Amino acid sequence: MRHHTLQVSPKTVHWGYFSKKVAPALTLRSGDRATIETLTHHANDDYERMIAGDPGAESVFHWTRENKAVARRGSGPIEGPFIRGAGEGVGVHLLTGPVAIEGAEPGDILEVRILDVRPRPSCSACHAGRCFGSNVAANWGFHYHDLIEEPKPREVVTIFELDTSGDPFAKAVYNYVWTPQTDPDGIVHSSIDYPGVRVDHATIKKRENILTSVKVPARLHFGTMGLAPSEADFVSSIPPSYTGGNIDDWRIGKGARMYYPVAVPGAYFSVGDPHAAQGDSELGGTAIETSLTGDFEFILHKKADLAGTSLEGLSHPMLETDQAWSVYGFTYPNYLAELGADAQTEIANHSSLDRAMRDAFRKLRRFLMTVHRLSEDEAISLMSVGADFGVTQVVDANWGVHGTIRKNIFRCD
Amino acid sequence: MELRPVAAAKGEGACMAQRLLRSSSTWVDAMSFRPFTSESYAQGDRPEAWRDVLAAVGLQPATSNPFYDGHATASHRQAPGVALTRIAAGAQGIGPASQANGDLPIALMPIEDGVVLRSGAGHRIVPVGHLVLLPRGGDWNIVFQRDMRAIVLSVTSEALHGRFSGKPRFSEPRVVASGGLADVFARLLDATARTLDTLGDGEWTAVAQSLSDLLLTLVHQLATSSPDAGSSATQAALLHRICQTIERRLDDPALVPARVAQAEGISERYLQKLFEAVGDNFTHYIRERRLQRAWADLSSPAEAHRSISDIAYAYGFGDSAHFSRAFRHRFGLSPREFRQQEAERSTAQHGVAGQRGWPQEALAQLRVHHGLGDIRTGAARLDGETNLPDMAAGRKHHHLPVEAARVHWGYFSRSLPPQIEIASGDTITIETLTQHASDDPELMIDGDAGAESVFGWTREQKNVDRRGAGPMDASVYGRGAGEGFGVHICTGPVAVKDAQPGDVLEVRILDIVPRPSRNARVAGRVFGSSVAAWWGYHYDEFLAGPKPREAVTIYEIFDDVATPHARAVYSYRWEPQTDPSGVVHTTYDYPGVPVRPDSVKRRHAVLDGIRIPLRPHFGVIAVAPREVDFVDSVPPSYFGGNLDNWRLGKGAAVYLPVSVPGALLSVGDPHAAQGDGELSGTAIECSMTGTFEVILHKKADLPGQPFADLSYPLIETETDWVLTGFSHPNYLAEFGAQGQSEVYAKSSLDLAMKDAFRKMRRFLMNVKGLSEDEAIALMSAAVDFGVTQVVDGNWGVHAIISKRLFQDAP
Repeated sequence: MRHHTLQVSPKTVHWGYFSKKVAPALTLRSGDRATIETLTHHANDDYERMIAGDPGAESVFHWTRENKAVARRGSGPIEGPFIRGAGEGVGVHLLTGPVAIEGAEPGDILEVRILDVRPRPSCSACHAGRCFGSNVAANWGFHYHDLIEEPKPREVVTIFELDTSGDPFAKAVYNYVWTPQTDPDGIVHSSIDYPGVRVDHATIKKRENILTSVKVPARLHFGTMGLAPSEADFVSSIPPSYTGGNIDDWRIGKGARMYYPVAVPGAYFSVGDPHAAQGDSELGGTAIETSLTGDFEFILHKKADLAGTSLEGLSHPMLETDQAWSVYGFTYPNYLAELGADAQTEIANHSSLDRAMRDAFRKLRRFLMTVHRLSEDEAISLMSVGADFGVTQVVDANWGVHGTIRKNIFRCD
Repeated sequence: MELRPVAAAKGEGACMAQRLLRSSSTWVDAMSFRPFTSESYAQGDRPEAWRDVLAAVGLQPATSNPFYDGHATASHRQAPGVALTRIAAGAQGIGPASQANGDLPIALMPIEDGVVLRSGAGHRIVPVGHLVLLPRGGDWNIVFQRDMRAIVLSVTSEALHGRFSGKPRFSEPRVVASGGLADVFARLLDATARTLDTLGDGEWTAVAQSLSDLLLTLVHQLATSSPDAGSSATQAALLHRICQTIERRLDDPALVPARVAQAEGISERYLQKLFEAVGDNFTHYIRERRLQRAWADLSSPAEAHRSISDIAYAYGFGDSAHFSRAFRHRFGLSPREFRQQEAERSTAQHGVAGQRGWPQEALAQLRVHHGLGDIRTGAARLDGETNLPDMAAGRKHHHLPVEAARVHWGYFSRSLPPQIEIASGDTITIETLTQHASDDPELMIDGDAGAESVFGWTREQKNVDRRGAGPMDASVYGRGAGEGFGVHICTGPVAVKDAQPGDVLEVRILDIVPRPSRNARVAGRVFGSSVAAWWGYHYDEFLAGPKPREAVTIYEIFDDVATPHARAVYSYRWEPQTDPSGVVHTTYDYPGVPVRPDSVKRRHAVLDGIRIPLRPHFGVIAVAPREVDFVDSVPPSYFGGNLDNWRLGKGAAVYLPVSVPGALLSVGDPHAAQGDGELSGTAIECSMTGTFEVILHKKADLPGQPFADLSYPLIETETDWVLTGFSHPNYLAEFGAQGQSEVYAKSSLDLAMKDAFRKMRRFLMNVKGLSEDEAIALMSAAVDFGVTQVVDGNWGVHAIISKRLFQDAP
């Protein structure tokens, strides 16, 4: 077993997409461990608190008229003229990786254990050592067309501070309404449509004393973790799918074990979209987005060894915690294959919890029948009386419902 | 499948990127569909929000009958110069929003009940389905005496692209006679309003354009042939009255000008002149109305049981061959072809025919007759002296045992006499039975006097006859009295002294214990049943045969061990059961049918080694709804009912808005365990006894309380607030007369999620004092939304917020 370290830098991140074509940032063997830094793509909502003085973050977010350190942001076109910028923001998450796993082949399952998760403290002179995050009620949020207060519509950024002295919790510092921001290339972003645009704090009006006396319990986790899909070379990081990705389940934190079907040789694991806290549904469009560092362990399960294990027949991401198993249902379980050439654009027009619930039901039924050897009648009865279905997210185009079954149900006496 | 990488799309960069934009791109323009529901707003803010809804189509609340603050929904969509809104709200009056009178008149069509139009020309009734054109200013108003259900179209000159030459003058509201263009327009309006949320932007633009063109034509037609241009308002009123008379007498083959003129006390010649003034003649008008009415009946599923010649006869066509010819001549196809086409369309729209709840046809017929038969007979008298709180100010404890006379089965009703009256602060122990005890009568009924009394059913005697909100004569499906439109055995109702509509009832569960078997063979042990039933979420997609099937699993409950749990005992597949009255139930379509052990094949060793942790709770806790007398117990709604949320167990409380005097609290549907989703259709259904503390919060004392401004069931546990969202938060008000049928057809988690979101936003803003922005940030970061159930007609999504978030609050 070896322990690797992967720091953030323009060379070790890819922004807004998964890809089987990106050269691995790290190659390791099954059983190895790695400490991986991740950055939130919302750090520029408050440059002073979340980027300034942090060499890793500064290098990744560096963007002047002459030099944009990470040019491509999203799976969209990389040749201009651009509406928003290279990659067109079709996919927004800063992902560290990919990490290639020696010997991984399509049909295998990659197990990723999260051993530890730590926040990334501010390095700026004024805030050194303290941790901050940003929550955005954005145009892709569930609430956006259903606002009751003026002005309508509006996007609102709320900056939180994470307190880890005791039971970790987050407290709001201030918020502001998004105003048009001009990026170094001269493109004006009148709404939040491209990641990593620095917000000029001279253009916004900070409102303090918000959410006073409200403490949000921390749930440190990674919103986006997954493998490169095989269907396309560049795949938007927004819709989650069969190789994982932007699942946005807060249970994918310390102690979690995620299982992903390998779709391309080497698996190509990437991680990012770190969150300090999120509720089931991620209603406003984002969590409390906070840069985090994780310790991971990677175990490759070869296709030939899956029979008779809990991974038999697995064709979708699955979570195991100490207490439970969760399967992830989506509006389209594999939208890339199901929606054809325009899948990455089409998916946003089909978002539905009803389809996601249907998918979660089917996946959990399969799990109970294949892994626990139940008959269909037994599986259905058990799901009704012992499994819980919840809303994972309603903001990632391919909406999610998770089905959870507790492990203590299977404990024999 | 080989997919083209997005990045490879060179040359079409900008255009491609435009389409690639996150879902936001579809929303930025002004074409988008906008839903409105009063659930978003605090009680006090509703009138203002409602004013905005009306203003979007040029209307405002009338000063005389303004909107009260009850339930209201609207779907709204606009294109440049065109705004269309479909409204469902309570009784109210409306008038014009502006004083200017330049643009085209507003078109309004009542869609469930007639309305009263008051203007300078006096009072007129506008019948359902008729169009009325309303000037944008002036002194008129429209009163919806029952519910406000209407489609409103506003077209301003912006939509007409300068083609609006010679503005017709409309100083008075005009009721448009049916027929011809008016009917085409009305039908398009109706069809568009129903599909507002699903039309693509391009489709909507095209439809909006057609609507404005048609409206313009119609307005011109009316302006040239109108009473304004010749006849007086008196003539218009007279003509309208005559038309109404004609409408009532279309069945009379001898409806001739002479008789109508005589009835109105005018000459036949004058009668003809009245029609000529509007560009018609009497004979043509009558024929047109008869054909139109026949057309409507032939297209209605509610009239499917009538033969074509019956319908022809009802509209004065004595000869059906003649009717066929006339119909074909008017509409281009024969009555038979037309009816078939409409039937196919209607089936396609509704998908799999739901057997649950009232079918629309039956509801339609029900309205013709009155009511549903007698309310429960043999209800116990008030347990007066012993239990009524008297001069002793202390809290009392009451006990409500279960027996036939103390339950109502499958429905809620504001008309039930209470079993007992208690005072606020009293505690009460209520015994409840699961309606699934009959899945194994030996284990769950035999020897138990209460259960035997409730389930007692022989050829001669059925102790609880009505089961469900359906007709007592089982005239819809023939399943049995009440038709199983609602299935839960509810104990009660319990009246709460001084409870009035507007108050909030807090029902706190102090304890909940399973009801052990009284059968000597297994005495003291506890059993329950879970049915994977035809209303389950899984039912239309079995993997293995036989398809479909219903399976019953009998569980034993172990509640006094270190980790209370349930284990499966055996299971069987449902086989047709003949009930004691001789009706055969091939599916689980009527509650309490005793399953004969020799009729099914028991499988043992099911769910071997699996222990299901208990979550004892009551699926049903309800106060009586205000809208109708008999309400199906299956779909939950604002009054509580079949909430099926396992968090409603010991230590939890539910707050319910009181709708009728005395509140009329009922409890039932006890569950030993259930998962979020209740996927198969049932939980582990197990008879249980609960002890409740019942506290009445008077309306005047509500401000400042977490349960102030309550229009839905609010659950409180030790650690959390749990808000209940539904596909249709108040389906009885939203769908009106069709509610008990529509709610089964139109459920969706997406709708329930929206409702849960709006309720949580309201809770955080009004109870916790947050701004909307704070509320949304908090919902994203800390509120958990989960699937309550997908099997109760009105699907549920709940939103949970931990009290811990606010523990530092002053």
